[in-house]
Amino acid sequence: MSATYTAAATLPEALAALASGARPVAGGTDLVVGARQGKAPLPDSLVAIHGLAELRGIAETGGGGLRIGALVSHADLVAHPAVRERYTALADASAIVGSHATRHVGTLGGNVMNASPAMETGGPLICFGAEAVLVSESGERRVAVADLLTGPGRTAARPDELLVAIELPAAAGGSCYARLEYRRQMEIAVVGATCAVTLEGARIGSARVAITALTPRIVRVPDAESALAGGDGGAGAVQAAGDAAAAAAQPISDVRASADYRRAMAAVIARRAVTAAIARARGSSDSVPIPASPALHGADRD
Amino acid sequence: MAVVEDTREQFIRQDGKDKVTGLGRYTADLARTGMLQARFRYSDHAHARVLRIDTSAAKALPGVFAVLTQDDVPDVRYGGFVEDRTLFAKDVVRFEGEVVAAVAALTQEIADRAVELIEVEYEPLPAIADPEQALAPGAPLIHEGWAGYGGNEDVVREGNDCSHSSIRKGDVDAALASADEVVKERYVADMSHAVPIEPRAIVAEWQGDKVTVWTSTQVPFIARSGVATTLQMPEADVRVVVPHLGGGFGGKCEFHFEAHVAALARAARRPVRLVFTRREEFVAPDHRREGQVLELETGVMKDGTIVARRARLVLDNGAYAADAPFFPQLAAMMAVGPYRVPHVSVDAHLAYTNTTPSGSVRAPTAPQSCWGLELHMDAVAERIGLDPVEFRRRNIVHPGDETATKQVLETIAAAESLERAVEMIGYGRELPPDEAIGVACGWWPTFALPSGAHVKLHGDGSGTIVTGAQECGTGSVMALPLLAAEVLGMRPQQFTVVYQDTDAGPWDAGASGSQTTTNNGRAVVEAAIDVRNQLLELAEEVLEAARADLELVDGRVRVKGSPSTGVDITELAEKAAGDKLLLGRGSGSPPASPDCDISGCTGRLGSESFLAPTFMTHAVRCKVDRATGVVRVLEVAAAHDSGRVLNPVGANGQVEGGVAMGIGMALSEGSQLSDDGRQLNPYLLDYKLQTAADVPEIRVEWVGEPDPTAGPNGAKAVAEPPCVPTPGAVGNAIAKVAGRVRCLPMTPMRVWEAMQR
Amino acid sequence: MRYDAVLNVNGTDFPVEIEPHRSLLSVVRTELGMPGSKEGCDDSECGACMMLLDGRPVNSCSYLALQADGRKIVTVEGLADGGELHPLQRQFLAQGGVQCGFCTPGMLISAKALLDQNPAPSEDEIRIALSGNLCRCTGYQGIVRAVQAAAAEIA
Ligand SMILES: Cc1cc2nc3c(=O)[nH]c(=O)nc-3n(C[C@H](O)[C@H](O)[C@H](O)COP(=O)(O)OP(=O)(O)OC[C@H]3O[C@@H](n4cnc5c(N)ncnc54)[C@H](O)[C@@H]3O)c2cc1C
Ligand code: FES
Ligand code: FES
Repeated sequence: MSATYTAAATLPEALAALASGARPVAGGTDLVVGARQGKAPLPDSLVAIHGLAELRGIAETGGGGLRIGALVSHADLVAHPAVRERYTALADASAIVGSHATRHVGTLGGNVMNASPAMETGGPLICFGAEAVLVSESGERRVAVADLLTGPGRTAARPDELLVAIELPAAAGGSCYARLEYRRQMEIAVVGATCAVTLEGARIGSARVAITALTPRIVRVPDAESALAGGDGGAGAVQAAGDAAAAAAQPISDVRASADYRRAMAAVIARRAVTAAIARARGSSDSVPIPASPALHGADRD
Repeated sequence: MAVVEDTREQFIRQDGKDKVTGLGRYTADLARTGMLQARFRYSDHAHARVLRIDTSAAKALPGVFAVLTQDDVPDVRYGGFVEDRTLFAKDVVRFEGEVVAAVAALTQEIADRAVELIEVEYEPLPAIADPEQALAPGAPLIHEGWAGYGGNEDVVREGNDCSHSSIRKGDVDAALASADEVVKERYVADMSHAVPIEPRAIVAEWQGDKVTVWTSTQVPFIARSGVATTLQMPEADVRVVVPHLGGGFGGKCEFHFEAHVAALARAARRPVRLVFTRREEFVAPDHRREGQVLELETGVMKDGTIVARRARLVLDNGAYAADAPFFPQLAAMMAVGPYRVPHVSVDAHLAYTNTTPSGSVRAPTAPQSCWGLELHMDAVAERIGLDPVEFRRRNIVHPGDETATKQVLETIAAAESLERAVEMIGYGRELPPDEAIGVACGWWPTFALPSGAHVKLHGDGSGTIVTGAQECGTGSVMALPLLAAEVLGMRPQQFTVVYQDTDAGPWDAGASGSQTTTNNGRAVVEAAIDVRNQLLELAEEVLEAARADLELVDGRVRVKGSPSTGVDITELAEKAAGDKLLLGRGSGSPPASPDCDISGCTGRLGSESFLAPTFMTHAVRCKVDRATGVVRVLEVAAAHDSGRVLNPVGANGQVEGGVAMGIGMALSEGSQLSDDGRQLNPYLLDYKLQTAADVPEIRVEWVGEPDPTAGPNGAKAVAEPPCVPTPGAVGNAIAKVAGRVRCLPMTPMRVWEAMQR
Repeated sequence: MRYDAVLNVNGTDFPVEIEPHRSLLSVVRTELGMPGSKEGCDDSECGACMMLLDGRPVNSCSYLALQADGRKIVTVEGLADGGELHPLQRQFLAQGGVQCGFCTPGMLISAKALLDQNPAPSEDEIRIALSGNLCRCTGYQGIVRAVQAAAAEIA
């Protein structure tokens, strides 16, 4: 049960609260829900950061990339044209988080900092080479999202550091995040895979592949990437990438699935992500698995 | 053609405005002055001997007003069929959700802390989760004292076999030996749950020796007698009130925790409220849907005639009997299905296990048994190379046919329901290779029970129906004005219904067994006829006409053949108000069970013949993702014979909801158990209900004729039947694409595994 | 420790003094005496508690009440305009979208959030939007019909 609470009005206020031991709460869709489920009690001291204007908004960076504020909601991400067009895998990921309420309340920052091995945006961010911008009273530092996520529920951020934004370098080509879905909505990733590819003429230039919910932290799969890079992106390469994803998986058995099924699905879902990423890079839009329209997810009206 | 009433004026439920404005109150919304909050301490083991309970630390916690264990309540064993239960654990705990102690405290937080402070010392005992293991020779007894328990003498039980029923007809061995083909299969259905969206809540308050219990029960009178029995007080001193009820589906049938809360309130000398969490709702009540193991064997001739069925069913009872002992007989009937089978031998057992007790959930036993049987029917059709619909056509029951217990079926439209559903979905049309249409047929009885109602007409001509009936949202009580209005030539909107209160209405079995329209409907009709007679008597005087020449139409009593000569009911009511009042009472006797012959059968518990049986066929089109095993149901056609359909908006809503529940059972709803009987997924993220995005369009049509043996003007059961055939229809569609999945729910993983074989 | 906050619910300001762990749902249901929003689960899965927060849907059971300080909240009690039912409320009744009614408060709010953003949703968009609101009674058919009818009426 939390004893103290501050609603930070400014960044320095938030950082001061963190420095004195408070935990940030953004949308609370992980933190408060986790406490209700009995996973972990609410921290004793909370600082609410939902009012920080500095952490909002999506902006173009000088280098052709995007800077996404930590408080940007999943709904805002899906609705943003640049995210949809250039970082489609990220839009795919945010589009399938929870329900429309979860997508409106849940933030990118909370998704990342919660560091669940099943979290949706991790794979895309890692494949895009995203960096986390962490700020504390002692200054700012940048950490690649791939290095930030160190294990289930663990990050490389210090407790006094606030994630203020995620920066994405310029991206070309196509990308996709796909997940195994038992129901059409309200699912949690049991198996997820991301692929981002660039083209060199008709051939695949570079490829990035990551698997989600299959290892204690979301990881890239170098064997899958090399199976694709420089190739024709045909069925053989896709198959090999899928097999590599399955080989890299360290699946567990639990109420959601057996290890065998998870491993088999790792290959299937990875193949789907790869196929869609290549198709998108080649300009096809009919393979877009973003499940709902932007109108539905809601454009930011702020 | 089915008789579907055209209610012309759209019928809006009386409680509707309350519900859409958020002003209606459900039990958890209630507050009483000085009210305390309750929490239970549950067993820490699935099976253990309780050596010591120390409540002193909990009692010492500031803000705690009462802590109770079995020592604090009368030493009463209760149970409708088998008296195997006490309010709190006595000596032994038999499942993870067994209540060991209860606390009432100023706040929920204090109550939560207090239950943790209760010290319980156990000696763990071997726990059995698997019902087949429980029946194996030498299995440890779950109730060592089973032989000494009182209860219904008709329950045939021994050791862990809590109830055994069998059906024997003809000579199965000989018939199987002479069959062209014999198909033998095994199916397993996991336990599942009713999952009303409202978790249960109870508030109790004493006034002197009388207690009022507000509770989210489907069966207020049964809850009342439960409180009276276990706390040893007269029923007249127990008033049960049901505020708006947020769904039940059987999960809120039976007597559950009303006495615990009443006892807490008495000990604390304050009102007490208990509100369950979703997890408690899964684990603690004795009303989840039973798991089943079905071994089915069918002998068939090359022309598609079924000659014999042998079956052995094992039902998972859980730790206590609750109302489940009649399940084996029902399940045995379901294992034969709505088909002509001349030689039958079915045994069904209800096995105690160390799991949450099972009890009636919407059409108990039927969706699972029907699923197993209907998949088996397709397997048999496949063996003899016959189309599954044609195979059903050749065996389905028609009027005049005999059931396995030799009941002769009369007004039934099973064959019509099959033909109609198949036609609605366009069976046989060309489909993509990953899609298929599956068909399943089911049946279900209408239950006859006593019930009572009063109908009053007021001086201004408006009316009140006072009934003991309860509804859980189905609209069955809301539709009672239609019946009274019909008898009295009035409009349904002129009636108010008073229900939800055991001090007001006469006895009724409650919202269970789809019985309200049939039984309470009969009572309301009789009460309305009573008022009608009183009106006619008054009108005879006013109109100076013989009663036989009078009719009630459009709010008037008028002379037949001369519609302009008449008197308004309002006028008669006003007249009566100054003199003798217009008060009608009705109960009517429940219709007798149809004749049958059960010589040679075991365990006669009321389901040996089916009163006014309903028949339904579902045809579904499914798409199977052949790489992942994920199944989407794309289209459902449901054709039901429920006799006369009183309130089509309401009845269609029952089918739509039942089908959605059936799709859930088919694809995603099942409890997973640890080896010692604990539920591993007692929460909605991993016990998955279907969402709006998963459920497709559901088309509903009604077939058949009013059944004279049924309720008002031939209405048969409506609410339970809809979930019965859905899982089987989905399973048969999946089988055509991916192979037969022999476990329910047919999760993506299980579909995928079937494809690997 | 308790903190002061002002919750604006259905247009009225309510000053409250609450502990940090309290959910928006529990404060609105108990302190503010508006129990129309329901609690159906422990894990943000059922949607019975849904409210609008600054026009966006939120599962209030899992949202800290203090985080709603100074913001606009709409609950089911705020949908009707005086005695006049909102078209969604009317159509839920007319189309068989209400049975037990326990999902109804959240369902109506969820549907309102959808129509506010997308006045002419397709059937599939309606179904996707309502997927965080579980209904056990209706099979969703009456609810989807009601949202379609209300959309047509509002347009
Ligand atoms: C019904 C439901 C369905 C869901 N479905 C999905 C899903 O499909 N996929 C998925 O990935 N997730 C899902 N989630 C989880 C959750 O919604 C997302 O992870 C969401 O993005 C979390 O954001 P938040 O703002 O609510 O985080 P919060 O709960 O506020 O915070 C999460 C964690 O991050 C920390 N934190 C938050 N912001 C910062 C910051 N700026 N700097 C430092 N630390 C911070 C908090 O201290 C906390 O430890 C679901 C949740 C629910 C309730
Ligand atoms: S009560 Fe909030 S989502 Fe279930
Ligand atoms: S109407 Fe009962 S849960 Fe929806």
